Amino acid sequence: MEIIPFLIPLAIILALFFIGGFIWMTMKGQYDDLETPGHRMLLDETQINNVDNANQTQKGDL
Amino acid sequence: MTNCLHCDQIASSPLYIQKENCETGPFCCQGCVTVFNILKNKGLSEYYEIKKNVAIFKDRAPVEISSNQYTYLDNSDFQQEYSYLNYQKERTIEFYLEGIHCLACLWIIEKLPTFVPGVSSSKLNIGRSVAVISISDTGSFSLVARELDNIGYRPHPLKINQNENLLKIKENRINLLRIGISGAAAGNIMLYAISLYAGAGREYEQLFNAITVAFALPVLTYCAYPFYKNSYVALKNKSLSIDVPISIALIMGAVMGVYNLFIGVPENYFDSLTALVFLLLLSRYFLKIIQEKGLSTSDLNFFYQGESLLKSTSEDFSAFIEIHPKLISVGDVIKIVPNQIIPADATIIRGQSYLNTSLLSGESELQKVSEGSLVYSGTQNVSNDLIARVTSLPKESRLGKILQHIENGWSQKSKIVDITNVVSKYFVLVVFLLSLFLFFKEFQSGDMRSAFEKALTLLIVTCPCALAIATPLTFIRSLSKSAEKGIVIKDDAVIENLAKAKVIFIDKTGTITENKIQICDFKIHNDPEIDFEYIVHALEQHSRHPVALSLKNYFPLTKTELPIVQDFKESPGVGVSGYINQNHYLISQYSIFENERLVASFNVDTKVKKDAFDSIKRLKKLGLKIQILSGDKHEKVESLAKTLNLQNEEFAGELSPEMKNSLIKSSTHSIMIGDGANDALALNSANTGIAVHGAMDISLRAADVYLTTPGLEHIVNLIVMSRETMKVIYRNLVLSLLYNSLSVVLAFTGYISPLTAAIIMPLSSLTVLISSLIGTKELRSQWK
Repeated sequence: MEIIPFLIPLAIILALFFIGGFIWMTMKGQYDDLETPGHRMLLDETQINNVDNANQTQKGDL
Repeated sequence: MTNCLHCDQIASSPLYIQKENCETGPFCCQGCVTVFNILKNKGLSEYYEIKKNVAIFKDRAPVEISSNQYTYLDNSDFQQEYSYLNYQKERTIEFYLEGIHCLACLWIIEKLPTFVPGVSSSKLNIGRSVAVISISDTGSFSLVARELDNIGYRPHPLKINQNENLLKIKENRINLLRIGISGAAAGNIMLYAISLYAGAGREYEQLFNAITVAFALPVLTYCAYPFYKNSYVALKNKSLSIDVPISIALIMGAVMGVYNLFIGVPENYFDSLTALVFLLLLSRYFLKIIQEKGLSTSDLNFFYQGESLLKSTSEDFSAFIEIHPKLISVGDVIKIVPNQIIPADATIIRGQSYLNTSLLSGESELQKVSEGSLVYSGTQNVSNDLIARVTSLPKESRLGKILQHIENGWSQKSKIVDITNVVSKYFVLVVFLLSLFLFFKEFQSGDMRSAFEKALTLLIVTCPCALAIATPLTFIRSLSKSAEKGIVIKDDAVIENLAKAKVIFIDKTGTITENKIQICDFKIHNDPEIDFEYIVHALEQHSRHPVALSLKNYFPLTKTELPIVQDFKESPGVGVSGYINQNHYLISQYSIFENERLVASFNVDTKVKKDAFDSIKRLKKLGLKIQILSGDKHEKVESLAKTLNLQNEEFAGELSPEMKNSLIKSSTHSIMIGDGANDALALNSANTGIAVHGAMDISLRAADVYLTTPGLEHIVNLIVMSRETMKVIYRNLVLSLLYNSLSVVLAFTGYISPLTAAIIMPLSSLTVLISSLIGTKELRSQWK
């Protein structure tokens, strides 16, 4: 059981480390908008082709 | 049944686009078709792909096309007030967008920089429907706003009060911090508490006890601060709220734990108490989020500002600029276009038109106005452009005065005390008396310390925390369901009121009937071989007379070319006539003539909303007394009541706003459903005021519930759901009281110890949580 005096401070330090991290993230604004980022990650980064512009270039070619 | 491809509303007469032999659709209206085409031309068709893959989305209304130019957004005075520079020194504005409903909207709004020149960034918050848009030096806000409007998201600029905004964000962050810290501490405390319960052994007992105290103290001070503050406010007002027993339990628990640490007894209640603080904070936070998701009263403000206005800049009233309604002043000459709601009382200097005054007076018949007439703010222009001089500011107008009345009345509206607070009030008293009794009983038997300890324990374990968690959770589930259905509820107390309601008052125009007139009884005479669509659209091409408009709606235009009309004549008050293909046609007096021969006759009426009949039947089945209140002519109300199978005592016509108000005041447990300014007073004095879709801003302010989608059936469902919700809440109340009585018995017989508390307290919370989850699950599944 000699390990206990080592494990307990370690557990407390870990806990404090994560609490500190949480405080830091909250104050930095990570949790200000809880809804949108969850949706945003689902969207692919695709380029859109603007047909309006494309049509104009086609006309130019002809 | 077909649903619109764009807005998912049911399309009763679906439209399809024919292009290159391929049919796209269905669409419910021309507005949605236009948006579809714009998106397609911009290469944004992926929108529909994304939308198809989204399982959940809110109901939304079909797109309405507007002709706003939003040039006032480029005005530097306006920008000074409404926009700010972001950290990259780009001009930034926040828009509230109408119609945000799913992932696809997010996609399209955040793609703005790719298809609108000059936009440098665009971020959307789906929950609040607010987009933050920055532009570079070459961009303009009016262009952005026009593009947003074109694709169906009508933008409303939000006035950003930087300080207020920052405070709100800070408060939100602190709430999160409190939840996070209490959760982490509760988890860590549990580790040591379990070792203590299991018998940690002499050498660790004191150490573990000290660690739990160290973890618990920030929770019981910093995290639990809101409970102390609320109790202080309640006690200062000489009342008790549910926070009072919670605070007592927390303070007593802290005192006892610290005291036990000093005298070397490894006993405390911190494992239960910290877990409760965590759960309580969490449930309140979610309730707050859900309520804010609907429109908060302060957020409604931008709706009152309305649409932009055209102000004349030249002597002959030929040139106009757009201004924001807030910047209007007396003496300004403004142009009022058809369908616009008149923003301020004004005198007409040029033009003739018909006004729809139903929003202000409830009358469904249109009122004719011409030069010199005084028009009131809140009425709607129907047919032609009007030039008018503003005679009083919006807030001093007739509408503004009603509005002031509402605002004064708002504070008088009796705030209902929710049931949990009523119960906890008595509960606290009983528990206090019981612990005093216990203290003296034990004191007589001699042991001062054990008497004190037992009394404290009773106070801690009878804390009705389970109730305080379960009630918000039940409300959260119901409120989120209604939000999903497009019903904005201002307060969770509304649900309790709705469940208690016995009488329901319904306004006629705009609520049971549509606001616009419609053609009915269209009869064809003498078997003519004519295409009415051709004739009507050709003759009424430029007419904006309300009957002409409804005729054109009755025969939707499907052809691209119209025949040429020769010798066209329009005589006000009589009708239109002209020659088409050598035949003379005349539309006059609700009839159509071909070469002086009657070929068709029709009538106009306001149409009854399609779900009104069923909804009223269901309301009756629920045991509610129904009464229709209207400012319209008595005969019109009577004929409507007949079609709805209502008895004589169930309707009343020709009522002024004040009469409506006094009728409602005389009944208890009432619901008022309405839309116009003439209903605002009534909405305010009813126990619950419900404003339907398309209601005027003033009614929104007076109402407790606002429907963002058309349909009366939602109201019926809402009432059913409220009743079920209250049932679940009562059941939780009984369960929670049972648990607390059990702990009182245990405390008296002396069986209570921190270990029993550690079992009973979470167990009671868990039971009521499961009870509310199951209860609300049933009622949520009923309302599809």
